[in-house]
Amino acid sequence: MKGDFRQSMKWLHTWVGLVVGWVLVFMFITGTSGYFKKEITRWMEPERPLASTHLDKGELLAMSQRYLAQHATDAKRWQIQLPNSRDGNLTLKWRKPPKKGERRGKRITKIINTDTGLATENIRATGGGSALYSLHYRLHYMPRIVAYWIVGFCTMLMLIAVITGVIFYKKIFSDFFTYRAKKGLIGWLDIHSVLSVIAIPFHFMITYSGLLFFLATYMALSFNLSLNSDQQGEYYDQVFPNNIVHEKSNVLGRLAPLSDMYIVSKQHWKKDTLTNVTVNFPMDSNSRVKFSRWETDITYNPEDQLVFAGVSGKIIEIPTRKVTVPGQINDGFISLHEGKFATPIVRGLYLFVGLLGAGMVASGLILWTTKRKPKQLKKTKGPDFGYRLVEQLNIGTIVGLPIAIALYFWANRLLPVGMENRAAWEINCLFISWAVLLIYPAFRPAITAWYEQLKISAFVFCFIPLLNFITTDKHLGITLPRSDWNLAGFDLTMLAIGLAFSFAAYKVKKHVIVKALKPNGDTYKTDENLAIAGFSSSTAKKESN
Amino acid sequence: MLLLSLSFITMTLFCLAMEKHRKLIIPLDIPLSVQACLRPLAWAMLIISFYLSIDLYGWSIGPVVFFGMLTGCLLPLILLLTFRPTIIPLLAVFQPVIFYISY
Repeated sequence: MKGDFRQSMKWLHTWVGLVVGWVLVFMFITGTSGYFKKEITRWMEPERPLASTHLDKGELLAMSQRYLAQHATDAKRWQIQLPNSRDGNLTLKWRKPPKKGERRGKRITKIINTDTGLATENIRATGGGSALYSLHYRLHYMPRIVAYWIVGFCTMLMLIAVITGVIFYKKIFSDFFTYRAKKGLIGWLDIHSVLSVIAIPFHFMITYSGLLFFLATYMALSFNLSLNSDQQGEYYDQVFPNNIVHEKSNVLGRLAPLSDMYIVSKQHWKKDTLTNVTVNFPMDSNSRVKFSRWETDITYNPEDQLVFAGVSGKIIEIPTRKVTVPGQINDGFISLHEGKFATPIVRGLYLFVGLLGAGMVASGLILWTTKRKPKQLKKTKGPDFGYRLVEQLNIGTIVGLPIAIALYFWANRLLPVGMENRAAWEINCLFISWAVLLIYPAFRPAITAWYEQLKISAFVFCFIPLLNFITTDKHLGITLPRSDWNLAGFDLTMLAIGLAFSFAAYKVKKHVIVKALKPNGDTYKTDENLAIAGFSSSTAKKESN
Repeated sequence: MLLLSLSFITMTLFCLAMEKHRKLIIPLDIPLSVQACLRPLAWAMLIISFYLSIDLYGWSIGPVVFFGMLTGCLLPLILLLTFRPTIIPLLAVFQPVIFYISY
């Protein structure tokens, strides 16, 4: 550390950001994909029927009740997820009674074809959006606890970077709108500060709330030393209030029609926003039915749930959960982080700011190399190993990771449907291709590597809709006329990302040609064009969504 | 939910606030008296859009949407500033109108 306070903050910001930058890009991108977990899963299971959002919910509930009464009589709980804007399919879930030696029974999920009322069979094994999202906090190929610690460490450094960034950035207001496109280093500096400043509420919120997820893990030492087991129990009760327990009567009972309860719920809520129905002890005389609507609050809102007595079909006025202040705070932060309440437009905003976050870290990393570039190029033995490593990791992560994710989707379509460990191999494909793309830039000049990887990414993303067309019957030619926006949206987004990468590649190529024509050209030019290309691509990506 | 015009009202506000120190980019000459009005007007718009978002989404989700919308309209605005500054005033005036009609 050196110089005055601001200088030392700047130093801290630079090095903290550099150390964990690549992991942060990875976390931002996979985390952003998590906002579309359900949508991605639906695309990755093309055997599912087209969306049935247009059907009456009462009919769908009656259909579900018929199916469950036939196939899941021995289950303790039924879960019905109605088609909604995020997932256009009717989904039923329950657990089989546990076999001997099992703690819980096997979990069954059935997607119902609303035309026939039967479950869709032979859905391919896939990790889906959840596998992609779990990389965000769980990483891969390592024990859970190690992953949590790595993620926590990176998040903590990110928080430091956010705070120190705000401290040393003097012109936070006067340069609020400043983006000077054509000046190499300055261009990157502006990109970095613009992306940081305009989304600062999000960046701060997402890092801070991220740390709260595994509170008891990160603070284990003080948690275990300062609290005895009773106090720990109380802590858990307060922060994670349990659902209120409800016992069965062991007398058989007949469940009233769910569709009738639906009519009551519509009157009660005034709006038709029901998404989930849970039935506890469906065959018991003390059965309970819980109707949940789209969340209207970032903390827990008891109004979002209606509880019916299953047999009489009447509303019971009890909250389903205890309400505690620490619980509300915890819920609030977690819900803000996950954006569960988000309607499509707000979800779009989450996507947008998530990508801004990725762009912010990425531009910061590029800024690091840009700043050191003139000095490094003057060295007689060529650039230092450290500098080259950073450059290589930049290319491999900023362009390589998206390619790897695209190949994850490719794997979903191309791996044989009957393959063993299919879901695991999808993820393996992601990591193998990423590893290759991380190593590859070591053998190429930086600008060529940028260009080549941008070309690859443009191709792999643009090709996804076509691949979907070749391998499945849920392609744009079908989903668009049937207005299944869930599935069509995925293909269109991939196409848009592909086009954005093509644009970036085009910009870089233009520069390469210019440089080839003028071999004595200013080296700064590289960054100038890259600045435009890189920035435009990330922007276009966001705008396209 | 479809009231996206909210974000564009906010965007208008930023155009106005910014003219103060970016007046070279947008129009030609504006009288001093108008210039002096811009900043208070911008703050007023900010408050109005905050109120609107609370009104639409409630106290819990409203502020989240408000910050999201601000972020969302800022990036296009900054890009326009750099590449096509002259159409900003036009957009700022017409976009809320278009969104209101489509709503």
